[in-house]
Amino acid sequence: MVGNPNCGKSTLFNALTGLKQKVGNYPGVTVEKKVGTTYSQHGQPITVIDLPGTYSLAARSPDEAVTRDVLLGRRADTPMPDRILCILDATNLERNLYLLHQILDLGRPVIVVLNMMDLAAQAGLNIRVARLEHELGVPVIPCEAVHGKGLVELRVAMSRLEIPLARHAWDVPAAIAPAISELQASLVANDGKSPLIARAEALLLLTDQDSVRVAGSVPLHAKTHEILQAWQKRWEGEGTDWAATLVNSRYDAIGTIAAEVVLAAGETGPTRSDKIDAVVTHPIWGWAILGAIMTAMFVSIFTLAEYPMNFIDEHVAALADFVKSSMAEGDLRDLITDGAIAGVGGVIIFLPQILILFFFIGLLESTGYMARAAFIMDRLMSRVGLNGKSFIPLLSSYACAIPGIMATRTIEQPKDRLVTILVAPLMSCSARLPVYLLMIAALVPGDRVPVMTKVGIMLAMYALGTFGAFGFAWLFKRTLLRGAPPLMIMELPPYHFPRFRDVLLHMVERGWIFLRRAGTVILAISIVLWFLSAYPKSPDATASEQLAQSFAGRAGHVLEPVIEPLGFNWQVGIGLISSFAAREVFVSTMGVVFNAESDEEDTTPLRDAMLNAQWPDGSPLFTPLTCISLMVFYVFAMQCISTIAIVRRETNSWRWPLFQIGYMTGTAWIVSFIVYQAGRALGFQ
Amino acid sequence: MNAELQSILALVVVAIAATALVVRLVKKRKNPGCGGECACPTDDLKVRIRRG
Repeated sequence: MVGNPNCGKSTLFNALTGLKQKVGNYPGVTVEKKVGTTYSQHGQPITVIDLPGTYSLAARSPDEAVTRDVLLGRRADTPMPDRILCILDATNLERNLYLLHQILDLGRPVIVVLNMMDLAAQAGLNIRVARLEHELGVPVIPCEAVHGKGLVELRVAMSRLEIPLARHAWDVPAAIAPAISELQASLVANDGKSPLIARAEALLLLTDQDSVRVAGSVPLHAKTHEILQAWQKRWEGEGTDWAATLVNSRYDAIGTIAAEVVLAAGETGPTRSDKIDAVVTHPIWGWAILGAIMTAMFVSIFTLAEYPMNFIDEHVAALADFVKSSMAEGDLRDLITDGAIAGVGGVIIFLPQILILFFFIGLLESTGYMARAAFIMDRLMSRVGLNGKSFIPLLSSYACAIPGIMATRTIEQPKDRLVTILVAPLMSCSARLPVYLLMIAALVPGDRVPVMTKVGIMLAMYALGTFGAFGFAWLFKRTLLRGAPPLMIMELPPYHFPRFRDVLLHMVERGWIFLRRAGTVILAISIVLWFLSAYPKSPDATASEQLAQSFAGRAGHVLEPVIEPLGFNWQVGIGLISSFAAREVFVSTMGVVFNAESDEEDTTPLRDAMLNAQWPDGSPLFTPLTCISLMVFYVFAMQCISTIAIVRRETNSWRWPLFQIGYMTGTAWIVSFIVYQAGRALGFQ
Repeated sequence: MNAELQSILALVVVAIAATALVVRLVKKRKNPGCGGECACPTDDLKVRIRRG
């Protein structure tokens, strides 16, 4: 299966193969290989490969290079497909025909799938399917993959024993014909290609001079290279751009087909999406709307989540009190109440806010607004030298840096990709949310402050991370990884009414993953942390003295001189150490540490316990300045083992993840230091 | 349950938790990546959504 990005190829692949899929990598290159199994109408298994999306066979990224190499039979690890399903977006037929035109040159059996026929009809386009089939000479199946329409017809077409080869022909400029013939002959004789594949590859080689090569791709024979270079040199000497002429003649042929096949209903003016975009992507209004949406999202997070959070908080405390009253005093009781319940309870209290966050993210994705946000941000990103394609990885990183870093694979330039990987963890991920919320709760407790104050602090933290990422990208692009920012061409999908079922499904799945994580990793860390804060035992010591002399307390004390200038004591130090596993572990650690330290029989809510915490001189530990300093630290610090492992894998070296830990943690310390010390100097507490 | 038995049981639970964390850390994953614990929708969910 091959097609342009966003043509619905993956939707069709999933619809055909269901859960019978295997996802891995092409050997030697970080490009995802998706293989699935479907069945013919006679029940015969058919292996389907979902190739990365591309606009043409002239590859500009490793993903596109893999698609080209598989289709041309250049990859030893993946045999040339017996049949090619070429998926076209019916709403953008002329643009999609370019790739199909190149594929038809291959002379292989091709089935064309015209996807999104419903959207084309809505846009007033009448696609003459029979006419297209006649023009191309290959089966053309109209389809709506999202609704499952056309799948039966497609399966029947795929089940045919013989598929007619394309009748397509186009006029190659006469002056180029000798070059094509010579290259074709060499590809047949020296590279072992069939005549038609050789002709298609010759056409491609003559027009695609900056081609990307990837590992696993069988190199061309030296003789073929010599011929190619000789022709290119000759054309340069003549001062004629034959490559452009070749591309133009292909566009002429495509234009002729499109004119025959696509009938627009009358004069087409701006669509509804175009009219909305005139406001939503406006240089000024666009930013105002983006800011308003972000504000509305955080207001909802703080206001709507309040009641369910109080409900969870009360029940967690009641559960701990019940265990305390039901069991005799001892280590197991302390482990359950101060370790498991305090640690896990401290994290699951944020479930309502996580659900609301992902509901909003799902809503924005479902309506098509996310692509507009990318468009608005691209103006800013290009100014700091970031590739426009970096936006999606950076946007994904607001949820989690790991998919964000994996999404950088679509960035063509290695330096741009590396810059994006280096700054992606600075975007405030969802694991930071519990830390921010806990600090805001400690910073502005109760109902004494308007909700907009909390929203303002939260927005400031997200903005700090975002502008921090842009600042470092600017710095890296001018020092370590110099290079010009390439242009981005992106497609804005039409606006949709949100599909609430999908949004809710995503939200529920996120909630379940959050709960599962709290019940596994965070539970295990909380139990181990309880042990580290309870052992070695110090007979006759108070709870405070016991914690100070424990393994965790000693580690916190070792770190204290380093973090004291930031306003943190050794108890916060324990949280900083443990949250290196994952940022939200800081919250569960605070739950364990402050419950372990408490002499009281009743369980104190974490926020209250933190508000009561003091320095040895009796001054409060969590002042507003300390809370801000701690939030700022978490904005910049690289506190995530999983992210480090992914960066190691994606960059194939330890050099970059170590550099990332160094620069991020160093920045976190310096900025927190400035915030805390400057705040104190200005008289803040 | 007396205090001594509680201490033994607590240490057993701690040992199990620590072992689980170590195993998780060193285990080679079949599909390396977030392991479904980050914000990306799982493949299963993607399929369900796309199937409508």
